[in-house]
Amino acid sequence: MFVNTAPELRFEKSLYDLIRGLRNHKGNEKEYIQNCLKECRAEVRSQDMDVKATALLKLVYLEMVGHDMSWASFHVLEVMSSPKYHQKRVGYLTAVQTFRPDTEVLMLATNLIKKDLSATAPTIIALPISALPHIITPSLALSVLADLLPRLSHSHPVIRKKTIVTLYRMALVYPETLRAAWPKIKDRLMDKSEEPSVTAAIVNVVCELGWRRPHDFLPLAPRLFELLVDGGNNWMAIKLIKLFATLTPLEPRLVRKLLPPLTDLIKTTPAMSLLYECVNGIIQGGILGEAGEFSEREEIASLCVSKLRGMISINSDPNLKYVALLAFNKIVVTHPFLVAQQEDVILECIDSEDITIRIKALDLVQGMVSSDNLVSIVSRLMRQLKTSSSSLEQQNGDQDANAGTDSSDETGAVRRRKAKSKDQPPPLPDDYAVDVIGRILHMCSHDNYSSLLDFEWYLDVLTQLVRIAPAPRTKDMDADASSSVPRHLVSDISEKIGNEIRNIAVKVKAMRPAAIQATELIITRLFRLSSESASARLVAAGALKPVSYLAGEYPFELSSADDMLGQLLHLLPKVDSPEILATSMQAAIKLFAYVAGDDRARWTAERKASLSLLMARIIHVLEPLALHPYLEVQERAVEFNELLKLTAEAASGQAPSTDDLHQDPPLLLTQAIPSLFAGWELNSVALGAQKNVPIPAGLDLDEPIHPNLAMLLSQADSLMLPAQEEDEFEAYYNEKPPATSLSSATEPAILRLADAPEEVSSSYQQPGEESYLDADILARRKAERMERNRDDPFYIGGSRSDGTSTPIHNILQKENGPDLDIDAIPIMKLDLGAVPGTRPEKPVSRPKPRQKLVVAADESLGGSGPSTPGQYDSENNSDNNKSRAARKFKQSLLQVDSSTLGRLDLDAASDRLEGAYDPEKQRQEEDEMAKAMKEVQRLRLEMQRANERIQVAHGVPVEGIVVKKKKKAKKTQVEGAEEGEGVAKAKKKKTKKAAVDEGGGATAGEGVAPVKTKKKVKRIAPLDEAGEANS
Amino acid sequence: MINAFLVFNGQGQPRLTKFYTQLDTSIQQRLISEIFTLVSNRPPGSCNFLPLPPLLAASGTSHSASEPHNDVPSLVTYRHYATLHFIIISTSTESPLALIDIIQVYVEALDRLFENVCELDLIFNFETLHATLGEMIVGGVVIETSTDRIVAGVRAQGAVAKRPVNEGRSTGLGAGFQGMGGNFVWHGR
Repeated sequence: MFVNTAPELRFEKSLYDLIRGLRNHKGNEKEYIQNCLKECRAEVRSQDMDVKATALLKLVYLEMVGHDMSWASFHVLEVMSSPKYHQKRVGYLTAVQTFRPDTEVLMLATNLIKKDLSATAPTIIALPISALPHIITPSLALSVLADLLPRLSHSHPVIRKKTIVTLYRMALVYPETLRAAWPKIKDRLMDKSEEPSVTAAIVNVVCELGWRRPHDFLPLAPRLFELLVDGGNNWMAIKLIKLFATLTPLEPRLVRKLLPPLTDLIKTTPAMSLLYECVNGIIQGGILGEAGEFSEREEIASLCVSKLRGMISINSDPNLKYVALLAFNKIVVTHPFLVAQQEDVILECIDSEDITIRIKALDLVQGMVSSDNLVSIVSRLMRQLKTSSSSLEQQNGDQDANAGTDSSDETGAVRRRKAKSKDQPPPLPDDYAVDVIGRILHMCSHDNYSSLLDFEWYLDVLTQLVRIAPAPRTKDMDADASSSVPRHLVSDISEKIGNEIRNIAVKVKAMRPAAIQATELIITRLFRLSSESASARLVAAGALKPVSYLAGEYPFELSSADDMLGQLLHLLPKVDSPEILATSMQAAIKLFAYVAGDDRARWTAERKASLSLLMARIIHVLEPLALHPYLEVQERAVEFNELLKLTAEAASGQAPSTDDLHQDPPLLLTQAIPSLFAGWELNSVALGAQKNVPIPAGLDLDEPIHPNLAMLLSQADSLMLPAQEEDEFEAYYNEKPPATSLSSATEPAILRLADAPEEVSSSYQQPGEESYLDADILARRKAERMERNRDDPFYIGGSRSDGTSTPIHNILQKENGPDLDIDAIPIMKLDLGAVPGTRPEKPVSRPKPRQKLVVAADESLGGSGPSTPGQYDSENNSDNNKSRAARKFKQSLLQVDSSTLGRLDLDAASDRLEGAYDPEKQRQEEDEMAKAMKEVQRLRLEMQRANERIQVAHGVPVEGIVVKKKKKAKKTQVEGAEEGEGVAKAKKKKTKKAAVDEGGGATAGEGVAPVKTKKKVKRIAPLDEAGEANS
Repeated sequence: MINAFLVFNGQGQPRLTKFYTQLDTSIQQRLISEIFTLVSNRPPGSCNFLPLPPLLAASGTSHSASEPHNDVPSLVTYRHYATLHFIIISTSTESPLALIDIIQVYVEALDRLFENVCELDLIFNFETLHATLGEMIVGGVVIETSTDRIVAGVRAQGAVAKRPVNEGRSTGLGAGFQGMGGNFVWHGR
């Protein structure tokens, strides 16, 4: 009966025909659908209501597949008003599926909905009730409320159920609904003779309302308790437990009442969902509470946790694992110690195949990390990343070998992954990898590195992370992915890793040499990669930015500043992002200043020659950048370029000193350039410190810089623009060689290149660091360890005894450079509190008090002591944050905002509830609304007519304008009296020329079938008849 | 509350879409395809919950937020039957395990209505799909969980059309619906 499949003599397709047609046109569905849409456009204007309804049904089917039908909203309204049930139902269904917040015709539907709400047949009443939640607006709620309320006591339980829910949704947009409806809903809930399914629906609604306004539901607790104990309905019990979980914090006495039935349920129920919700309810309701208050509490706490543990460790059912992790995630906030006891099983979940479970486990792990387990947790994660990235590399290798297809095609990649052999864990999606890396960084760095004991290990981890971090997606991708958030994250993560290295170098002075070594490793690797591969590939690693900053800032720590400068100069032209470019350019010049600026060295011919060469090389690199479209890059390039040219001139003018004649090196080289960069050492500054800088008394920020700034700017624009544009244009083409732009569309530069050969897996022992660190990093690590233990009398060295210099030692010394300073290697610093402003370090009784490193706190101004960003935020920005957060929530897709509910003051009004809901006032408001509606309708008609007149004026032949008066029983008279010929509707014949879409679908302004000369009659049925307004 | 109820087949073609908030058609389609990508990449034996698709994750809370806002859709539950995927997007106020059961109830109700239901039935009778869903969930709130009453409610609106005879049943489509009742242990009912 839903679909009219009976073969009838008509030419229109039924829905059945449409679907069959779709299935028969595999391959060219698009064309077929376009044809169908065209037909539907014609059919939906038909006089025949059946044809109209069928057309709508087809349209809503096509809408499901993604073809917008907002243009048909007016026809939807027409079909909704049909007297026949099956047509009406199609109309309502279409309205539910396709009406959007901006659908205008909704205003015209009010009276229709009111009428249908007071129909006699329950099936008809159900239509508007079920549709209202989808289309409700405050004004619609206001006018429909009076008709909906009586339905709460309808004889049919289905109607009662649906009404209750609809009232709830109305209350979300129009909170006053609750004032009128709540007493009645409460009566229903209290009514013990009420149908159980209706009671269950009420409980569902109450549960939704409950977390917003728990206070209102405390008086109901006895009844709810009764329902929980003898309800016998598991679905309802679940909701009741959830509701109680929000109530118990307000009424601690409830706990004593609840515990017996809950423990009972936990012990007896066969339904796992109910069992879980009991446990969850106990957790959320804070029943675990302070131990010792009731003796049962400890018992129940251990019962809950053991049940949850069971859920996780039983590896049969992944769903239980997931929900148990959810529950643990809630416990960890209040009872971290209870969760920490379960560390073993939770860590197992991190390695689960299932990403959902992994993410939840990660959430949890982040909450329970401490200095004891940090290393083991991070190692686990690193191993995951490493294996996935190495398998991805393999794949990329395959791909390259095959065809070099576009690997950014994600679904394709996914399929290929699936096709791959099963013996290897599937590579992780990039988003997940980025997420994991972000968490690793967070875990290690949180609270100013308080959980981190071994900074060298962390540096090694970071170095490894830079290598396996997913490369940012290419520009092509973000063009079609308009929600740039994930992309943004991806492009950022490499830089974040680099930032960590920088933070350590800046904050932990003792670790600076190690950090700089890591920096060298990273840059050397980038250099190697970019020179190995075809010169076309761009350097996209965001880590280059902070890392090159380090190289420039602490050049004296570098093993060879000359090499570093050479590598940077090689990388510069290949850097993609302007921010990275600007920073690394600066770093290169700083390095140059360090290399060249030694004023004690003699100005020999040799030195002169090598420096001139070096300057020529730098100038060669910088010159093209002077035309860079990004201003920061351009400015720095121009500055340094000119400076170096001057210096080069000076250098060539200065004759080298010979044996008998001593010549000073040019001052520009030894004094001027180094002085640009020498100064105070930079320290880390707290996030909000800038705001604490007092504004000088004389400074008035509101005072305009120039009285006529706008004019100046516009002048400057008009003068500068043409030249600027040309430059930009030129720069664009000069800068990127054509081959480059092609290959930039491919990908992960880092991932593509084979890493150091897969290390031999140490199968005979627990996978250690070697399972996630690359070979070269490991080698460095080993060397460091040896170095560190050299002076340790308790350390039994491998091949080397104290004092004597073995071959290995020699090699090491050679590799690390002659200026290796043992004293620079941090061993112990016991200056606790000696440095002002440092936070107290870990207690000495740690298992591994190997290093006592001072982590400098962020500098700040004004505040008392060091202020971390967090503190600062909570002090000064909390309002700001809150509103930002609120805005963020509002934007959430699919979300139904219920925040207005919380604001309604129901309790205060409860004693005068009847008075508050004033039927008389309501009526008045309705009258006003009806008047307003009429006005709106009149205006719409006028606009339509004006529209048509415009068309006529545009030269459309006016032949055959038909004016048809549409009469509709008594309603027309009312309308007619007020609006004159308002109901009449001019309708003109259409020609192809007039195919101007008039929007809203209200007028048929399109040349539907150009050949057709049939006069079409457009009907604007006054759907919300004024005569009915007060019925 | 429940924010959306979706059904699509193994190729990602939607068979039923019901959003309990008004959403642009194009965004609906994007969401469906994002969820489909997630669903189709699940390894065998994984749980019935999906990570948030990028569209929802972007607008909602971040992963690390320990206290998710109750209004924000934060849970995507899915279930797979034969050629079809059933998806529920909901907020954290719903019970995850109960949602899995809800899908089961829905499928059982359809099975009763169509007698051994298969994807074809759903394709050609999508109005019935909506009607059945309408008897279970209104405005995102569950109103009925008993198969009997749901079926009765749908039948009260008129007879349910049978699948067109000449269309034929492709083999094995219906098989997945049979005997699915017993393999989950936590029936809420």
